[in-house]
Amino acid sequence: MKLVSSLIGKLHNVRALNKMKPLIDAMDAGILGPEDLTEGRPHLVDNVDIKRYMSMVILALVPATLASILFYRWDAIRLIAISYIVGGTVEVIFAIIRKHDIHEGFLITGLIFPLVLPPSTPSWIVAVGVVFGTMFGKEMFGGTGRNIFNPALVGRLFITIAFPATMTTNWKMPFAAADAVTVATPLSAFKTEGITASFTDLLIGNTAGSMGETCRIVIILGGIFLILTKVSNWRVPVCYISTVFLFALIGNHFLPERIAPPVFQVFAGGLLFGAFFMATDPVTSPFTRTGKYIFGISCGILTVLIRSFSGYVEGVMFSIVIMNAFNPLIDQIVLMFKYRPAKA
Amino acid sequence: MTPEQKKFAKGYRFNNFEGQPEAKISQLDIPSKVTIPLKQGFGDEVAPIVEIGQTVEAGQIIGRDDESISSPVHSSINGEVVAIEKIDYLGEETTVITIESNGNDGLQTLPGASVNWQDMPADTIDELVYLSGAASSGTSGIPTTFNSASIMPNEVENVIVQGVASQIHNISLEVLLKGDILSHFTAGLKILKKLMPKARFHMALDESQNRTISKALQLMSPVKTINVFTVPRKYPLHRDEVLIPLLLGQKIPHGYLAANIGAIVLDIPAILAVYDAVTEGIPLIEKTIALCGPGFRENTHVKARIGTCLEDILKKRTKPGKDIRLVKNSCLTGNTLTDMSLPISRTFNSIIALTEGTEREFLSFVRPGVNKDSFSRVFLSSLFEGLSPRIKKGCDTNLHGEVRPCIACGFCEDVCPVNLIPHLLFHQVQNDVIDELLINYKIFDCIDCNLCTYVCTSKIPLAKYIKDGREKLADEGLTCPEPDFPLKGVKP
Repeated sequence: MKLVSSLIGKLHNVRALNKMKPLIDAMDAGILGPEDLTEGRPHLVDNVDIKRYMSMVILALVPATLASILFYRWDAIRLIAISYIVGGTVEVIFAIIRKHDIHEGFLITGLIFPLVLPPSTPSWIVAVGVVFGTMFGKEMFGGTGRNIFNPALVGRLFITIAFPATMTTNWKMPFAAADAVTVATPLSAFKTEGITASFTDLLIGNTAGSMGETCRIVIILGGIFLILTKVSNWRVPVCYISTVFLFALIGNHFLPERIAPPVFQVFAGGLLFGAFFMATDPVTSPFTRTGKYIFGISCGILTVLIRSFSGYVEGVMFSIVIMNAFNPLIDQIVLMFKYRPAKA
Repeated sequence: MTPEQKKFAKGYRFNNFEGQPEAKISQLDIPSKVTIPLKQGFGDEVAPIVEIGQTVEAGQIIGRDDESISSPVHSSINGEVVAIEKIDYLGEETTVITIESNGNDGLQTLPGASVNWQDMPADTIDELVYLSGAASSGTSGIPTTFNSASIMPNEVENVIVQGVASQIHNISLEVLLKGDILSHFTAGLKILKKLMPKARFHMALDESQNRTISKALQLMSPVKTINVFTVPRKYPLHRDEVLIPLLLGQKIPHGYLAANIGAIVLDIPAILAVYDAVTEGIPLIEKTIALCGPGFRENTHVKARIGTCLEDILKKRTKPGKDIRLVKNSCLTGNTLTDMSLPISRTFNSIIALTEGTEREFLSFVRPGVNKDSFSRVFLSSLFEGLSPRIKKGCDTNLHGEVRPCIACGFCEDVCPVNLIPHLLFHQVQNDVIDELLINYKIFDCIDCNLCTYVCTSKIPLAKYIKDGREKLADEGLTCPEPDFPLKGVKP
């Protein structure tokens, strides 16, 4: 430890690395631990910090990441590595230009983004997506805490629209060989042929889909872990998933060809991943409690509508991004009601 | 009689922190010199009524002003007045009287005091409570006809005895009420009842103090007019602004005291001071102080004369060679004590010695954190909560992280005892949007408990921003609207 500390101390003194200050500071604080003291009143503060908070999300994603590596081997490692390296570089460049510390939020974006991609996505498309997501999803708005949209979803949305052929038809089964034929995801199989995949296959991940989204059981466990640690709030995922379930239950009764049955809807596609890991992002979802309910319910309705009545098979990504845009408005309206000036 | 349990959803429970004071007490020697501030506790500063060179006795009144809202101040030792000067006492310019001891340990008691207080007329009680200085206790003082509070004794509707242990470190109720002192306490309550005949009496006790509660209830049973409540061990339930709405359902308007809505909140030492004054004529010249926190060799209680300088209290009691921060009364809202020549006053309940968190922790954010406190449950400590009270949580002054932009995690809103959205106010103040909207968002409801800053994941000093916001509003001439119901007494 002394060795590390003296090494970092030396790095601080190298003049040529002055420009890299944010990077060295991040290493310093991350490895050697926080050094600031409280100013007093309060003299003691909570031990939680953003690093710990964000590491909990990473920890919750570890099972899903391991599952994707197990299912897709080198493809998964390739995607995650590219996302972290390219996206991390963008983040560091922005920190250097803006002269602020490197913010930990990227650790999450950089992992969530590859997990929502088809496993055979070409490397350069991954790089384009993560650069776009970080720049236009986050940094353009002023960085962490000010972004309106979830950066990972912005990147995913961009490459879906820019490279539709690669991004919507290029699915593989888990454990498939590199040259295996592409197959349909459960949601597209329902849309084209009306087949619903079996519940067990969906739960353990024995279906085609985005790398990290298929093994639903570990996603549910990760999501529950986040809620128990208070890192994410239960309101959004609970409202989101139960709305999808209820809407599908009623819809399937009247329009069985278009609207898939409720259990299938909840477990197919990216719903669980989106509800537990993306809709819960505190920055891009409403902060008011009522707002969280409205956000979750609206996401649920939009998801089922897009899945059933649009040209796209999956609606989770679109519905979260659309609702992200409404999130400031939802909060404003809720606050307007909550703090209505007393009538004279 | 079973106590009524009150629940409180907000606030925060500080569990199992290291450095809780043990139920032991030792009496300090009479100091060779004391410095007595002329403003102690509730009320204005009083004028000195002694001169330099004058000989004074312990218990003799050395500062008194019957016109302003104030209580008398006494010499705490026998000796000679050597200086009367103005000093900066914990951020306020205060006149202090310095007295050098002549080694005599006698004490001048108040005339008219008697153990037969039952036969005492109410105005004798009134005078004794005032002359003893006990009337400066509590957040609004104890009303007497000598202007010791902002209302008169007959205007008091509710008296709340506060035995809430909501801080990180709390003075031990066992020490305060040990042995037959408990009976002094109940007698003290009855004396106050005689002083404020129209008032209803309530007592709020910490839910974890079962033994004290049951003993108190036994002794209390003849006193039928007291409502006993148990309240959770949650910060900041010791504050009037939170406790009174919880117990009485009444709100204290911003800028006013509990007394203005007819309520007086007193802690346990205040009741004991009343008993001592009325039955034995002992003025308030001594205070029991808890020595808390990991910076002390031993966490105990000491009984010290008021005016004793901190150095005399702390010498040989703090751990040597350690970087220590001394804090008065509360880790969340207390002043830092830097000048060891400053004296203690009636307002001291505890002195907390925290280790300065200058030692950095290697790979801090990935540690399991068995002894790390957090509102969130991101450390292992949350699993051991309640299971193992032996694992004590650390108290050092490290910030435990770097300041980051707000991510709206909502922890501050979850704990805010007065239902504000602190991060919303913070964004407004940070962006310098100082307008009516802030008042609309109830910025004046904030009670500066600093709990939002405590829990903040991004290490933002939220409470400071909110305070700044109120000051900036005042600069622009925007103030909190006055309450639309009648209030008692004078505005503080």
